[in-house]
Amino acid sequence: MKVPYSRILVYLDGSEGSINALMYSIILAKSTGAELHAVYVVNTKALGDLVRSHIFVDQEKAEYQEDLKKDAARHIRHAEKLASSKDLDIVTAVIEGSPHHVILDYIKMHGIDMLAIGPVNAIRSRRDELTSENDRMLRTAPCPVLVVRESDDIWEEFGEV
Amino acid sequence: MTLLEALDKNLIKVPLSSADGNGVIDELVSLFAKERNLSPSEEKSISEAVKARELLGSTAMDNGIAIPHARIEGLDKSSVIIGISRLPIAFGGPDGNVSKVFFLVLAPKDNPSEHVQILSSIAKAASSQLFVRMLLSSKTKDDVYQLFFE
Repeated sequence: MKVPYSRILVYLDGSEGSINALMYSIILAKSTGAELHAVYVVNTKALGDLVRSHIFVDQEKAEYQEDLKKDAARHIRHAEKLASSKDLDIVTAVIEGSPHHVILDYIKMHGIDMLAIGPVNAIRSRRDELTSENDRMLRTAPCPVLVVRESDDIWEEFGEV
Repeated sequence: MTLLEALDKNLIKVPLSSADGNGVIDELVSLFAKERNLSPSEEKSISEAVKARELLGSTAMDNGIAIPHARIEGLDKSSVIIGISRLPIAFGGPDGNVSKVFFLVLAPKDNPSEHVQILSSIAKAASSQLFVRMLLSSKTKDDVYQLFFE
């Protein structure tokens, strides 16, 4: 583990929680001089599983995949804009696959020493199949994980940096 | 929003009273419309969207579970409406398999990621034979709701 962190990765999933994590990561990278990476994962694993379970038809899978790619592009543009507003360089990527596997591979491949994610769920169920991608990353990441809670303070702090 | 966050005890009906697939969709949409104070035209439009999606290919799995779904313009958040039928319903399942458990998933148009995540969680839960057996033996909406949170 390196302290201070030199490469921070923030996982974007299209949720407001992941935007908060992004803003917090920008503040952190700005104050520590760390390199910031932002990755959006198009969950093609889930799309494939839904077709195999007969929940999606092929046409629907193609439409969702296209929509998810557009969503990814929108969020990556937003990440670049937010970083640029604070004069911070950011490395961005859109990758397809199973989110927690893709993020773990990215961490290893790019020497990431801290992962930032949006909120994890309160433990309301012991059913493994209901575990979210954020929960899986928290449990399996090979580096320290920063869980950013939803809070208005982040917006205020971001404005002040 | 996750599946657990989308669940609402007031959006569960046990048992369903309809005897056919379109009737089940109407019954579940009606429960949603009543709970969300939707107008008759909004209710009709949601029912039509779900039926139109089923025409592309049945969402019935081979284990008695069907997951009809649609993305709806103007919806502010995802909802999961659950119904359990005592009667086997022909819902276009593979090899003529009938369905008894229905998860109707309605999602906003502009959040494909969330919709995929919720559908995926239901599909994973439905792949557990024990979970399906427990769902089928549920007698009340509280039984069904509790199954997800135990």
